[in-house]
Amino acid sequence: MSQADASDTDSLYDWSWFARGMAQVFSLPALILISAFVGFGGLAREAGISLGQLIFMVPTVWALPSHLILVSGIAAGVPLLAIIPAVALAAVRMMPMTMALVPEIRVPGSKAWHLLLVSNMIAITAWMHTIQKAPEIPRPGRLPFFAGFAGIMMVATTVVSGLVHQLAATFPVPVMAALYFLTPIYFAASSWNTARVKAEHLALILGFALGPLLFIVVPQANILFAGIIGGFAAFAFHKIASRGKGS
Amino acid sequence: MYFDSFDHTLWPYLFILLAGVLPTAVWRWIGVVLVGNISDDSEWLVLVRCVATALVAAVIAQLIFQPTGALATFPFEVRVGAAILGFIAFLCFGRRLFVAIVVAEVALLTGYALY
Repeated sequence: MSQADASDTDSLYDWSWFARGMAQVFSLPALILISAFVGFGGLAREAGISLGQLIFMVPTVWALPSHLILVSGIAAGVPLLAIIPAVALAAVRMMPMTMALVPEIRVPGSKAWHLLLVSNMIAITAWMHTIQKAPEIPRPGRLPFFAGFAGIMMVATTVVSGLVHQLAATFPVPVMAALYFLTPIYFAASSWNTARVKAEHLALILGFALGPLLFIVVPQANILFAGIIGGFAAFAFHKIASRGKGS
Repeated sequence: MYFDSFDHTLWPYLFILLAGVLPTAVWRWIGVVLVGNISDDSEWLVLVRCVATALVAAVIAQLIFQPTGALATFPFEVRVGAAILGFIAFLCFGRRLFVAIVVAEVALLTGYALY
């Protein structure tokens, strides 16, 4: 790199979209993610996680399934070497998610370190919301939009889960259940709308059906297998369908 | 080694880093490296998107079929039924997220009240 990085990234990206990403904190997906962390704040407290540890782990781990495995592992006294593979297995999906997002947000001059840095903010909600909004955003604005949205969500979820932890806030069971229920419904509806090709709808249906079915066979890795089998099957359908349509 | 193995105040943070942060983040870094040379219109990206979508779908299924916390106290039929109703309403009424949420939540709480 011959030029200063600051001027480099200034000309590559349109940072006015960072603020517009942050403004998405007042969106339905943001509200749903914040609700999920209301539950997590309480869970962490029950597991004996201190406020400082909670504030540290929310934005650094930044994937709710990993959070849940980590905290329940700590609560159950599971050794470090057993928690690592469990978390790693649950987080494999970050790899294809990252590979799907990067081509949406990079610009021709993007350096690897820009992408490595923002990749740390990838989690389902910000990922999905950005892929959905990307077509409406000029390419230089996409990475800043993602960073702005994911960044404000990191702050908001840390504050909210910290508050719940500190106040020992408890809510009636039906309220908590209704809050938890928002997340799967949002993920389902949003990934249906985000699909660009029919095969992704098929992948969604297959993954949903295979997940619980494979739990019977491979309870530790059912999500991973459902993703691989469902994803490859949907891609095979895509190849066959496009061959039929093509020359 | 366990979460409470050492008395040092920084040990729990190191534990979180090793057990939670790194095993999650490493997949993001691998993703960035692997996608580096794939062109934006490559067919491989369709495969990647299909796998990512199927993985998210399996997470969705787990959140409904095997939830943790308060939702686990709700009957299985109520959870699954409410999710299906919400999704059907979503497909029928203009694919609006808002419709899916309202119908699914009303169905969930109605089912809970009736059981």
